[in-house]
Amino acid sequence: MNASAQIERSDVISTDDVILAIEGLNVSLPAGMDRDHAVRDISVELRRGEILCVIGESGSGKSVMSNAVMGLLPPQLKPVAGRIVFDGRDLLTEPPEALRDLRGRAISMIFQDPLSALNPLMTVGDQIAGVMRAHGVGTAQTRRARALELVREVGLPDPELMLLQYPFRLSGGQRQRVMIAMALALEPQILIADEPTTALDVTTQAQILELIRDIQRRKGMSVMFVTHDFGVVSEIADRVLVMEKGHLVEAGTVQKVLTRPEHPYTQRLVAAVPRMRGDTREGMQGTPVVLKVENLRKVYRSGGGFLSKERRVVAVDDVSFELRKGRTLGVVGESGSGKSSLGKLLMKLIDCDGGRIILNGADVAAMPEAAFRPYRKTIQMVFQDPFASLNPRHTIGRILTAGPVTYGETPGVARAAARRYLDMVGLSASAFDRYPHEFSGGQRQRIGIARALMFDPQVIVADEAISALDVSIQAQILKLFADVQAETKVGLVFITHDLRVASQICDEVLVMHKGRVVESGPPAQIFLSPGDDYTRRLVAAIPGAEITLSHDGSPQP
Amino acid sequence: MTSMNDSIDPVARPARFGLFGRCLRTSMTGRVGFGLVMFVVIVAIFGPLLTPYAPKDQSAMYAVGANARPSADHWLGTDRLGYDILTQLLYGARTALVVGLGAVLISGCAGILIGGIAGYRGGWTDEVLMRFAEFFLVVPIFIIILAVVRVLSKAVTGTAFETMPYFNLTVIILMIGLFGWAPIARMTRGEFLRIKTLEFVQAARCGGQSGRQIVLSEILPNAFPSIVVLIALEIGGAILAEAMISFLGFGDPNAVSWGQMLYFNYQSLKIWPMASLAPGFMIFITVLGFNLLADGLSDAANPRARRR
Repeated sequence: MNASAQIERSDVISTDDVILAIEGLNVSLPAGMDRDHAVRDISVELRRGEILCVIGESGSGKSVMSNAVMGLLPPQLKPVAGRIVFDGRDLLTEPPEALRDLRGRAISMIFQDPLSALNPLMTVGDQIAGVMRAHGVGTAQTRRARALELVREVGLPDPELMLLQYPFRLSGGQRQRVMIAMALALEPQILIADEPTTALDVTTQAQILELIRDIQRRKGMSVMFVTHDFGVVSEIADRVLVMEKGHLVEAGTVQKVLTRPEHPYTQRLVAAVPRMRGDTREGMQGTPVVLKVENLRKVYRSGGGFLSKERRVVAVDDVSFELRKGRTLGVVGESGSGKSSLGKLLMKLIDCDGGRIILNGADVAAMPEAAFRPYRKTIQMVFQDPFASLNPRHTIGRILTAGPVTYGETPGVARAAARRYLDMVGLSASAFDRYPHEFSGGQRQRIGIARALMFDPQVIVADEAISALDVSIQAQILKLFADVQAETKVGLVFITHDLRVASQICDEVLVMHKGRVVESGPPAQIFLSPGDDYTRRLVAAIPGAEITLSHDGSPQP
Repeated sequence: MTSMNDSIDPVARPARFGLFGRCLRTSMTGRVGFGLVMFVVIVAIFGPLLTPYAPKDQSAMYAVGANARPSADHWLGTDRLGYDILTQLLYGARTALVVGLGAVLISGCAGILIGGIAGYRGGWTDEVLMRFAEFFLVVPIFIIILAVVRVLSKAVTGTAFETMPYFNLTVIILMIGLFGWAPIARMTRGEFLRIKTLEFVQAARCGGQSGRQIVLSEILPNAFPSIVVLIALEIGGAILAEAMISFLGFGDPNAVSWGQMLYFNYQSLKIWPMASLAPGFMIFITVLGFNLLADGLSDAANPRARRR
């Protein structure tokens, strides 16, 4: 309440500039949720020709707000108070037909997942033309001509051919471009973008952000851009709204919010943003090698049946590295780079097609499962998805002790160890008898780390272990990894798509592209003076370079 | 053993029949279905205590005759053959449940086993087993069951099997079971395929657990909610199948079955409708009960679908 009062005072503007005004919006949640409102007392003004970023962590209500504008709230979420004023009309009280007329024509939306937002059975051209047809605009010929124009405008290759393509043939970035073309078809005044780049790779994200900004400038549109990433905010926003648990906690220009955040929550959030670090981490030096990989190779074969031609994809191609005790090796790359396949190869969850994995002095790469069993204890994994990596039907105690007990540990000793490691990862021993659903995402990831530690391994492979978490939780888990490593001297293979994260935690980084290691070295070298072309593109695409390089990572006042 | 070990509190675990409990708590459909099923179960267990007549007692023929209207001795009257209708209904519940549970015990075990192997192994094993299952999905099972029942009852004449009680009924249960496993196998396979790629299964492999342990303690319990729904449906289906077989006159002459009651009495429907409508009603509520229960279980197993 206090915050919103301040906002109103600091943002005195003429009403002519406001194209969309949300006034005191309250959206209630059904009974039995963790709070009774999805958003409470939100007042926002979207001005002509600005990009307004709405940022918040999961559950902050940012998507509820943007969906409320479009009238796309699910039935159990009801706006109970407030107004959403566009063009002198309150969108919350307009009849459905009037809203339908506005949607697409005056206010358009693009979504996070471009694949599920496009109809898989319709060609790109038909879908773009469909927006115009729904509003009764033009004839079949003019709609087609306009679709072609739009496809050119959003920078899709081969526009003529593109109109005839089905969505499944396009890449994620291309699909998002199609979505944008659909949204622009009727020249709306407002574009609402709900996490439009979250599902995309960093280089694709950079392109889409540039496209949105470019189009916004050209058309003088207003954009409401919902995101969880401060990097994206710093790239694109004119003004920023920060939301926490359904409340609007801070609003202001992008410079003000990013450099001088006022609300403690914003300060915490900004401080937790992973920053590119140029310094070398003072990891352990001269320790023995615990894991050595030579010329590792993995080829996926599919099809090859009786009727179809075999398809071969080289996922991991000639990868070599060394990991020393107590040090962290980062593996970075975009989706499809083979970094997750590399992790699975190291764990022997999939078989390799060549090369050596030397663990504890023995080459385990070609070992059958039975011979590898004793070595399993020395290499453990932390998984990506905290909601899928724990069996929902087992207690935490059972999850932690199952492994050691299989290896012949007595249940008593295993239980004692489980309690010790729960303590080490910052959970109370009472977690032992509880079930995974009772824990938050960050807590579950702590349990996953405790599970990996149960064997007292020499190597832990962390596959995107923090990418499913909110930014403030990410920072905590990263710190936990560092603490655990300092205490146990475990070697870490840290697989991530986020170069900023890699720059913070790693002693050495491998950059992977299409299965090959294109560059390796200490993070300072990789990120500040990349030698390879691909690495250079990757580093350049990191959103929010200006905020992430300007500080040393310490929290700002 | 350390001192920490002694501090383990016996914390209450969630109810053992979590899915079942949730079904009854949250789903009205589930409660109604469960109520109907429990009614039939109670009738099957205690029903025969309520009637002074034996199931194949035709003595009413001498007292009130066939197709008699309700009286103090025969609450629902008697049917075309002079049986007490209420007695037949009560004993019929036993047959229905034995058929339903027996057939599904067979199809459930076979389906989970075959589907589980197919889903967990994948590759060629999966191909072969699923083609095999498809065979069972496309054959006209009623014609086969009728043929087998008829042929077997002829073939056993003069052998030791002839004296076996409820021989025909056993054959019917076996046949329904043997032809009912394919949908369960499909469902199990689908669930196994989905669950085996989840990270906690990979974590179990990283923890050195054997394939058998992974299947039994990681995958199967998580696949179970979906399978249980299908099993509840199949119980209703099996009861209906037995009723149809009996209605066509291929039932067990020694057993009392609702389908058989229909078979005996449908010709006198106009004379005394109770004799046909009462067993029809019992079949209806039993199958409905299992179907509603399956719906409720399905709602409880998929919490997202519940919030429609």
